[in-house]
Amino acid sequence: MSSRVLAFINFKGGVGKTATVVNIGATLAKLHEKKVLIVDIDPQSNSSVWLMRPDRWHEHVAGGRRSTFQIYDDALNNKNRFDFEEALVRGVVTWTGFTDLPRLHLLPAAVELLRIEDKIHELRPSAIHQLLDAALSAYFKEYDYVLLDCPPNLYSTTRGAIFSADSCVVPYVPDFLSLSGFQVLAEEILDMRQKFAPYLPGRRRPNIGALIVSHYRQSGNVYRLAINELELSIAQLQRSGLLSSHTTILEPYVRHCVRVAESTNEHLPVLLYAPGSIGAQDYCDLTERFLNHFENKR
Amino acid sequence: MNYAELAAALHHAGERLSKHAAKIEGESMGRAAQVLSSHLVKFEELLDAYIASRKSGELLLETLLRSPSAKRHLTIDLLRDGLRDVIGKRLKSSELRAAKREFIERVHEAGNQDEAVKFLKDAFAGAIHLEPGGKDKASLQREYVDLGRLSDDEFAQEIEKWSLGELRQLAETNGIRFTDKTNRQRLAGLIRRYAQRAVFNISAAG
Repeated sequence: MSSRVLAFINFKGGVGKTATVVNIGATLAKLHEKKVLIVDIDPQSNSSVWLMRPDRWHEHVAGGRRSTFQIYDDALNNKNRFDFEEALVRGVVTWTGFTDLPRLHLLPAAVELLRIEDKIHELRPSAIHQLLDAALSAYFKEYDYVLLDCPPNLYSTTRGAIFSADSCVVPYVPDFLSLSGFQVLAEEILDMRQKFAPYLPGRRRPNIGALIVSHYRQSGNVYRLAINELELSIAQLQRSGLLSSHTTILEPYVRHCVRVAESTNEHLPVLLYAPGSIGAQDYCDLTERFLNHFENKR
Repeated sequence: MNYAELAAALHHAGERLSKHAAKIEGESMGRAAQVLSSHLVKFEELLDAYIASRKSGELLLETLLRSPSAKRHLTIDLLRDGLRDVIGKRLKSSELRAAKREFIERVHEAGNQDEAVKFLKDAFAGAIHLEPGGKDKASLQREYVDLGRLSDDEFAQEIEKWSLGELRQLAETNGIRFTDKTNRQRLAGLIRRYAQRAVFNISAAG
């Protein structure tokens, strides 16, 4: 199977990274019959606890062993305890107590990741960014899409995700704070592309493939103007070579929807929790455009 | 519990039941067996229907017809076109709910589920609203930034060359809201303000 590995990154928090990963992943699995793996490498473990009830998540990742934490812990302590099959969560448990979305798999994170972030930096730089890839790339082949949910920073774990990825997706909230960070992000990714090049012979080097706008509100001028400024900024970065000519803002923009927020409490993607909501509709349309962009099928 | 665990539990119960079947007696066991048996019959019927619909592509078709995409984009006209396209027949129903049911039944009879799924996916993809783009937009965005870089006098001179219609197009393309009552002077003022802001913001970000 030819998989597409996409890192969802933005060092600004609260931009809808996890919501995008969870809801696009669920829509790909349910409506497009794609086999999807979500890899949570954020110590906050947001995509893990969105898709798993907290008690089940605590039980599953107890001590960090059946989570992405173990990959890093193994590298730091020269151990080999990470077991992909054991760590994998298959499907999403609904209110019936039975699983739905059998094509959606999750490799959960554990908060223990927080405690080793500092130690990871002590490893050899070339080893750090290859850690995730070395542990998981063999399994990626089983999936159509691998979505890497990164923490809101550009430290070691995020760099490892970017190293593993074919492309990066940047969730974005239309305001100046996001815009000012976006240029820095583009520069950092270009810098990583150059540093990673010797280690990626014959492989695509990561670039920003797409931006996804969340928390959009149609009223007033504010968001339309902010998106226009983002488009102007993208055009400028493309002219200066910091972004590829293929980088695009995927539409539709995901509107603010309270049902999406509620769905986190139900530990379900919005597609299962409130399929009639505008949030579910926006994510369905967005996923269609996402497929179109990354598969160039239409 | 997942379905594999349920299968293992049923298997385990089946093995134990088989081992002790000849020795089981009493009303409470009989009642419990009756309840389980009737539930099992219903479960097997559902499971058979599920497996068959999944195999034939009908499950995905039904999922699509109940999806958020359908809620937003599905119309009677679309189903009418779909039925004609997929099986070459006319849709009889005139109400959406009934039309969905008819669509599923007639596609099922013809065995064209895969074609119907493809039709719906293409139709939903085609119905997604996209902001207008293209060369006009890119060139109007460039002109907007150029206007933002002009001094007050230069801007006043340049804007004189634009008709009200052109100013409206420029404003609309660059995300500036206005009404039919917005006059030329007010519109030029808005363009001035937001074009300058855009220049400042994108150069500060870049």
